[in-house]
Amino acid sequence: MSDPVVRIQDVSKVYGGDRLRVEVLSEMNLEVAGGDFVALMGPSGSGKTTLLNLIAAVDRPTSGRVIVAGQDTSQLNESALAPWRHRHIGYIFQLYNLIPVLTAYENVELPLTLSRLSSADRRAKVETVLEVVSLTDRKDHYPRELSGGQEQRVAIARAVVTDPTVLLADEPTGDLDAESAEGVLRLMERLNDEFDKTIIMVTHDPRAARHAHRFLHLDKGKLWSDSEEAAMGVDGAASSPASEE
Amino acid sequence: MRKLVWRNLLRNKRRAALTVASLTLGVMLLCVLGALLQTFDPAETEASENRVVVRHAVSLQFDLPEAYWRRLESLDHVEVVSPLSWFGGIYKDTRRENFFSQFGTDPETLLAVFDDLEIEPEAAAAWLAERRSFVAGRALARKHGWEIGDEIFLQGEIYPIDLNLVLRGIFTDSQDEAQENQVFFHRDYMEEALGNPGQVGTFWLLVDDLENVPAVIEAAEAMFENSEARVKAETEQAFVLAFVQMMGNVELLFGAIGFAVIVSVFFITANTMAMAVRERNTEISVLKTLGFGRGHVLGVLTAEAMVIGIVGGLLGVTLAATLLHLAAGALSSELLLFQTLTLRSDVALLGLAAALGIGTLSGLVPGYAMARRSVVEGLRKVA
Repeated sequence: MSDPVVRIQDVSKVYGGDRLRVEVLSEMNLEVAGGDFVALMGPSGSGKTTLLNLIAAVDRPTSGRVIVAGQDTSQLNESALAPWRHRHIGYIFQLYNLIPVLTAYENVELPLTLSRLSSADRRAKVETVLEVVSLTDRKDHYPRELSGGQEQRVAIARAVVTDPTVLLADEPTGDLDAESAEGVLRLMERLNDEFDKTIIMVTHDPRAARHAHRFLHLDKGKLWSDSEEAAMGVDGAASSPASEE
Repeated sequence: MRKLVWRNLLRNKRRAALTVASLTLGVMLLCVLGALLQTFDPAETEASENRVVVRHAVSLQFDLPEAYWRRLESLDHVEVVSPLSWFGGIYKDTRRENFFSQFGTDPETLLAVFDDLEIEPEAAAAWLAERRSFVAGRALARKHGWEIGDEIFLQGEIYPIDLNLVLRGIFTDSQDEAQENQVFFHRDYMEEALGNPGQVGTFWLLVDDLENVPAVIEAAEAMFENSEARVKAETEQAFVLAFVQMMGNVELLFGAIGFAVIVSVFFITANTMAMAVRERNTEISVLKTLGFGRGHVLGVLTAEAMVIGIVGGLLGVTLAATLLHLAAGALSSELLLFQTLTLRSDVALLGLAAALGIGTLSGLVPGYAMARRSVVEGLRKVA
């Protein structure tokens, strides 16, 4: 196992004040190695997305440390976090969240506009990832002119175009039909296999989870198991809490 | 980034157009009010402060006896006095474009009192020498295509006489081009045609020093206090503005209207921008997730509002300039003051600055709130 690119240490996340306190994550520990493909499962409200947001540094833990690519993100202020996210995080949303006024090409190019790349270099990168997601012929289409599966592939291209350290996917197939979902999952599998992308994917769908190499089950704020049973959603998930350290 | 700003602007074309239109109307109104205020502002008129106008105390409708001329000349500190009588004849026809000011005067004293009128010495001499001659302002001569030696016919409307005049000189006024829209001819010629009634509309006095103006005014009014035709004496500025003052405190009124318009347009624009920003809550959170910082987000949102402000401002200023130009042409025959009605650069800049300020503030306020908003909060709206 290579060095962990994601390290969660005693992380708790609590929402609300004293009167309405909800502990979403409780003293969690987790390590994800570089090149891993992790499926994070669990019922609604179990804290999956919260965990993903903490890794992406769009949210901060109440206690504990989140270390991604060797950086304790809680040590960075907001102005330092933005370029850090740009460099290390690729985020894929359930509802794609493409910018509707930009074409597929422009959506993919968008994160690169923050870099100092020349327009020729940007073009080369965008065309490469559009080729990887098999959407070269749709590059001039606006999101409304694409199917759900195509939109999600554009979103994946946008997430990987900056070559981030970690790819985070929040229910990437949750809004797709079976065929499109399968296409997206195969693409993610390919990104992991061929391009060695570290992927952490939140999903409700056991079939989607099967594409991952590692399965984590999250329930009531705790990480429970790291087994194929968790991916299948069987009782094995309800065994003892799993310390990933 | 520029592409994103531009595309977002065109995202909802109707809303963008309506916002620009509200700004355009607001800026146009502000510029028109500003131009009117400038026209009415004593400090903005080119009227001389050491010229005193003496007219009938009751109304300009009534003439004064010609005999007052020499008596006014005898006043201390008065250097020269020139009579001006409004003829008000019809040139060609009664259409407004053919209307212009026509005064019977004494050429020699007129050129002394109105030393800001510039005329070639040869032309002045020719005018002085010929009773039937007249001089015209350059702007008016250009408008009607008059050349030296041309004759014009003025059909009397106030007076039962017609005048046939020959152009002997063209004068300019580099300080105030509006003064170039009038003609001056020999009052003697008009008097003779009328049978020498010995009447004068107004007397214009040149005072030797500014500080002596109040004393001259007081002395002039006192001189004729018990006469049949009492006079009112005032500075040229006060005379010009007497028309305007009849309309009340226009400065306060226009200022209040302008302020109300700008505040209203600000709220309209700010509300529209706030709505537009709120609708993009999720998109903005996505941008932040992609690595866009608060500065980028604030920059994009403010830039959008600034573009709206600039476009609205430019359109408003253009519209105001056009409207004022048309109004000056149409209204100058009603009130000479409107001859100077124009959009000056300082008012145009004020309009543009107001539009840009409104745009910038309208983008900054919701943009700042959105830039500081938690990413998770924005993303949660979709999930």
